[in-house]
Parts: sequence; C-alpha cells; structure tokens
Amino acid sequence: MASSYKDEDGHITVSGSGAAAGAGGGSLRSKKPENTAFKQQRLPAWQPILTAGTVLPAFFIIGLMFIPIGIGLYVTSNNIKEFEIDYTGVEMSSPCFTCAQNFSWNGTKPCTCSVPFHLDQPYESNVFMYYGLSNFYQNHRRYVKSRDDSQLNGNEESLRKPSKECEPYAKHGNKPIAPCGAIANSMFNDSLELIYNDPNGTKVQIPLTATGIAWWTDKHVKFRNPGAENTNLTVVFQGTTQPVNWRRPVFQLDSDPDNNGFINEDFIVWMRTAALPTFRKLYRIIQRRSNVHPTLPRGNYTLEVVYNYPVRSFEGRKRMILSTISWMGGKNPFLGIAYISVGSVCFLLGVVLLIIHHKYGNRNNAAEISH
Amino acid sequence: VDCSTLLYSPGQLNMFFSKRTFVQCLIVSTYTSLVLFLIPWAAMQDSVRGDGKDVADYQSFAMLTQTSLMVVVSAQMFLDTHYWTAINQFFLLGSIAAYLAITFTFYSNGLFFMFTSSFPFIGSARNSLNQPNVWLTMFLTCLLCILPTVAYRFLHMLLHPTITDKVRHKAREEGQPAPAPYRPPPRRVSTRRSSYAFSHSQGYGDLVTSRKFLRLKRRPSLLLLILSNLNWCSGNFILKVATALLKGSLGKSSC
Repeated sequence: MASSYKDEDGHITVSGSGAAAGAGGGSLRSKKPENTAFKQQRLPAWQPILTAGTVLPAFFIIGLMFIPIGIGLYVTSNNIKEFEIDYTGVEMSSPCFTCAQNFSWNGTKPCTCSVPFHLDQPYESNVFMYYGLSNFYQNHRRYVKSRDDSQLNGNEESLRKPSKECEPYAKHGNKPIAPCGAIANSMFNDSLELIYNDPNGTKVQIPLTATGIAWWTDKHVKFRNPGAENTNLTVVFQGTTQPVNWRRPVFQLDSDPDNNGFINEDFIVWMRTAALPTFRKLYRIIQRRSNVHPTLPRGNYTLEVVYNYPVRSFEGRKRMILSTISWMGGKNPFLGIAYISVGSVCFLLGVVLLIIHHKYGNRNNAAEISH
Repeated sequence: VDCSTLLYSPGQLNMFFSKRTFVQCLIVSTYTSLVLFLIPWAAMQDSVRGDGKDVADYQSFAMLTQTSLMVVVSAQMFLDTHYWTAINQFFLLGSIAAYLAITFTFYSNGLFFMFTSSFPFIGSARNSLNQPNVWLTMFLTCLLCILPTVAYRFLHMLLHPTITDKVRHKAREEGQPAPAPYRPPPRRVSTRRSSYAFSHSQGYGDLVTSRKFLRLKRRPSLLLLILSNLNWCSGNFILKVATALLKGSLGKSSC
C-alpha cells in the first residue's frame, strides 16, 4: 500500500497514503547506529584462543611450579613436631576412667586425674598447647545462632535483656543470663597443667601463658565488658546470673582484670565456633626460655587434668595437643601432598596432550571451510 | 551455499539444549562443587594460623570457601569471554574488586558497631586472608576447577574442530584484514536531463499522465484511511472496488 524506498543516503522516505506516520511522509531520522567504535563493536580486543602454543606450555609450567611448592610445603609440615594424647577415659586402663564414669553436674569436689606421657624429641621455640574435641558439632545452625553479640560487646541494654536467639538459655530464675546462649553455656572448662619429670626426680611445673591466644580483633573490638573501664565487674554484672552449666560466674573467670569478664581469652576462643566436628582450640602458650635450652626437653611428662567437661553422653573425645608452629600453621601434610599430586598430574596431562597434538592436531588446517 | 544457512545447523543437530549437554553441565557443576568444599575442608582440618591461633573456625572457613568460589567463577568467565575488550575487563576485574571491597566493608569495625547482630563476621577477612595457607588453598582450588575445562576444550578443538575454530585459526594465521580504506561518499551526479532528451525516446507519456513522478504531498482523506485499514486483502468485493475507485492512481496494491 504505502511504498517506501531507500535512496543512497540511507534516508527512508515514505510516500503515498495509508502511512500511519505523520503528515504524509517527510523523511524519518536514520535508524542506523552511529559509526563509533563502541556502537559498531570495533573496540580493540584481544582474542584468547586455545592454541597448542599456549595451552601446552601452560600445563608444563604449572606442573613444574607446583611440584617444588608441594615439596616445600610437605617438608615444612614434616618439620613441625606434634604430640597428641587422648584423656577422655573411656578404657578401663585409662587414668581418667573414674572421673569419666563418676561425672555429676552438682559435684562440689572436682575430679582430677594424671596422665603420664613421654616426648621423644625436644621442642624448640614457642610451643602451643591445644585442647581438641571430637564429635562436637559446633557448626550446628541453631547452636551457632544461640548467642547475643550486642551483649558480648558490652551493651548495657542487651545485658539486662538478652536477645531471643539465646532462648532457652536467656533467663534463669527470672534473672538474665550473662553471657547468654548455648555456645557460652557449653564452654570448655577442664583445667590442664603440664609437669616435667626431671631425670633426677624433681617435678617442674611448666609455666603456661593464658593471654595472647585469641584474635586481636576479637579481644579488642568484638568483645567488651559492660560498664566503663576499670569498674568493678562484680558491680557491673549485678542482677544477672551465670550460665546454667558454669561453676563460676563470668566476672570470676580470672584474677587478672584484663582477662576477666567477657574479655577472658579462653571464653573468646570458645565463642569462635569451629567449622568441623573434630576441632582444636588454643589453650595455652609455652613461651620459649632461651636459645640454648629447648622449651620442652625430651623426657617424661605428666598431664594434670581437672576433669570438668562431660563428653561421654555424645560419644565425644577429649585430647591435649602440643605443637610447634611454622609460617603455614600446624602440622597438615594435605596441602603439600595435594600440590605434588596436582603438579604431577598436570605435567603428565601436558605430555599426553603433546602426544595427541603431534599425532592428530592437523585438523585445524583443513582447507575446506564450507562457505 | 549461503553462509547464513550455517546458522541453522546448531538447531538441527540439537547441539546446545539437549540432554547430553545438560548431563555434561551437571557433571561439571558437581565436580566443581565437590572440589570447592573438599579442598578447603581437607586443608583446614586441624590447621591453625601462622601465629598459632584459630583458622579452622566457621567464619574463616566460610570466608575461604566463598572467596575460592568467586575466584573460580571469575576464572571461568575469563575463559568463556571470546573477546577481551577494555569494557569486558573492567567489569570482570571490577567484580572481583567489588567483592573484596564489599567483603572488607561488611567485616569492618564500623558496620559491626552500627548493626551488631547483622554483621557478626567482624575480623574474619583480615585474619584469614593474611595467611599464606589460605591463599595456597584458594590457588589450588581454582586450578583444579579450571584445568579440566581447559584440557577438554583444547582436546575438542584438536580432534573435532568446529567451523568457528577453523575460521579463527585461519584468521589468526592470516592476520587481521586491513581496515577498509576510507572512501568519501560519492558525489551525486545529477541525473536530471532536459525534457528535450526525453522526446527522442519512447517517452514517458505514461509516467507523466499517471502523475506518479510528482511527490504529491496529499493528505489522505479520512474515508480512504478507514477503507484501507480494513482488511484489504481479504475484504469483500464491493469494498475492494470502492477503494480502488477512490484511490485512483495512487500506488500499487500490496497484496
């Protein structure tokens, strides 16, 4: 009906009747996009193509890079000394068997047990003492949510009125619990002491440092005691009560005022929930004495345990770990082994691809690209 | 053979939306998910920071896994982008930068003090991302996810090159074609001739009498508009005749 034609300039002209556009067809604006590099998709670009010249050297380089890294990691991990001892007391022959059997929540006299062990090698430099728990799911969702971060940050209002997430560990006998929640309630409260049995018969207690075990950000930013600095914590926490499973209230966790209340480092370390059901948390640090004497010489030791923490009900295990540390952390050979295996697999794959390319790789040069 | 018929072949061969492609996608995703969890899990088992403190806690583990995921996804996008232009790279690298910026903002002191219960991850980014252990794990995870894809694509290109691959290979060998030389727009040569010249040939009598060559700016009458907007092609006979009489010499019918 309406005929339209395009003349040389690209203008579209419409003539005739029936044209819905305006008063009988002047020329419309051109619909052609502008001739810029952006709109015509002519931007300078690099085209990464997987050619043999790039992929094969990449595989070989990655293989050759990973193997030394893996060896380095493995050697570093092997040089770390670690000693682990399980003191749950499940077997009859274990020293802590009676403590494990006779556990009661309302016991006034705490049960103690002594576990002897022997270190084959001397431990130099700082030695870190960890407690480890097994089959303890600190990553259970309802457990992880059961805390009140405002209360732990020293907020007065949250101290008196804990958040709903802490239920049912928010109030006890009409008083708010400080600190509230299931995580705080289940805090690890065994006491561990190390005693060195000198060859000439004397027993030397090894000094353990209880500070410097939590993250700096946790100790100084996330956790704060309520009330102003240097106020008596007993006064500040008046009107609150301790968690149900605790033997002491939170303001009596340590005599050192810098490690008392919510900023007690054992408490902070416990509140940082672990990701996996078998975990270890830093308990104490054994500072090195001098460059001449090893921190822990070879010999017989005794672990004195004040057995407060029940794990038999969920078939958990408790253990104590002594470990030295390197730049990559504790003793974990996985990364070293993984890097070595991935490096070798990569290298082998590179060789295989090279063989395949050599034999069959000329199909790309086929002249017949059908048009 | 017209080049544009090649566009039909993926549809005819059901190349991109078939069960086979779906299963392939599923296998790759399952593998990537397993690697993204299991490698950090094995690396964080019983491990600690370089100063002896915790690194295997829930928040650091989550931080490690989510950063590995970001890195793997960005690497796969880098692989899938065929043309790396400045804009492309800006957005790809910008998304990694934005992720890091947002993460550090969410895990900073300021937001923690403002909205305490919403931002409990304070300190996790700072304390886990300064561990070489964590970076080595991320690097391993990324490579384990990317290398099988690269190897598979390379093999596919070697053994069953698609037409696109062949063309690209050829273009790479021949180099970029030189840009088309700039030609100034041709000047219009006037085609007007005098009517004297017309009179020597058969003539354009019909054209003149039909008044088609005049660009008549005539407003169509309302009746004509209505009639022509009625279904012209299938209208009844009487309508057709009436419209034809009214339109007269205007235009050919388009049916």
